[in-house]
Amino acid sequence: MQRAPDRFQIQAGIRTGVRIRGRIAGIVTKQADVNPSTNGRSTPGIDYGSLVRAAQGGHQQAMERLLMQAQAIAYRFSLHVCGHADDADDAMQEALLKTYRHVSQIKEPDAFRTWLYRTVKNACLISRRKRVHEPGRLESLDEVVEHADGSVQGIDVPDPGRRPDEVLENSRLRRSLHRALQSLGPEYRLIVFLREVEGLSTREVAQVVGISEANVKTRLHRARVSLRQQLESP
Amino acid sequence: MKPQPTDRCRQLLEQVSRYLDGDLSAAQRRTVGQHLRRCPCCQHMADGLKHTVDACHKAGVARLPADVRTRAKARIATLLASGPVTTPRR
Repeated sequence: MQRAPDRFQIQAGIRTGVRIRGRIAGIVTKQADVNPSTNGRSTPGIDYGSLVRAAQGGHQQAMERLLMQAQAIAYRFSLHVCGHADDADDAMQEALLKTYRHVSQIKEPDAFRTWLYRTVKNACLISRRKRVHEPGRLESLDEVVEHADGSVQGIDVPDPGRRPDEVLENSRLRRSLHRALQSLGPEYRLIVFLREVEGLSTREVAQVVGISEANVKTRLHRARVSLRQQLESP
Repeated sequence: MKPQPTDRCRQLLEQVSRYLDGDLSAAQRRTVGQHLRRCPCCQHMADGLKHTVDACHKAGVARLPADVRTRAKARIATLLASGPVTTPRR
């Protein structure tokens, strides 16, 4: 049986300059989070537990990475679940502050990921409620501009590693997906976002949303059927 | 003519998602797999669901737009400059 490293070993790793640089690089680049409920499909993710331990040890790079992740998740949540990117700044600020305060106090670093998603969910919903009396605005995904040379301006920045046609195709796919997501009820949209877009396991989704795993699976299936119809309709 | 779903198809429909996720027992997996091989209607549904899931994975996580990323970095810099990170050891 593999023994979990004790606190002394973790702290020793954190305090060793060379090892910690390798450790942080590994946290960011290895990202092997095998999700047992997806038949071993390896979903891209970040080892939040190690990042939290490093940040608790005073490593600024790890803290910055966590704070950037918190804001990125809040942005995507605002976009995909709330459907309003204009709430994103408030939600990102809230997620940033809560993460900063929480990191030094967390007792179970491995539970950080679900804590972060719950926090972002609450931050986004609070931002949404604050603006509930303001006039609604359609999401700017519809305002993506496709230039004659195939480049795309709007939701995404061009990725130098991808061909223009790939960027364009993914941009179209994102717009279709966004429209399809907005056609779902909020409880289904949230499940699809967490499970399919963010790659959380069924158990993690259940923890974030506060429902049973069986309920997550049922909702996920219904949402997939509905999304399929939306994506396949002309 | 487009194949029509039967009662058996409706019975197994919810299990198709779990089949794609590898979330069924060996016996259930065999049952659904055999049905999918024989039923073009359910195979079509399974293909569509798989395509949908793949599309979500592919399209979902985009890089932050440049202006949003710049604001996010500025917030972090401001926050970290406001004081040292307090890291009480337990």
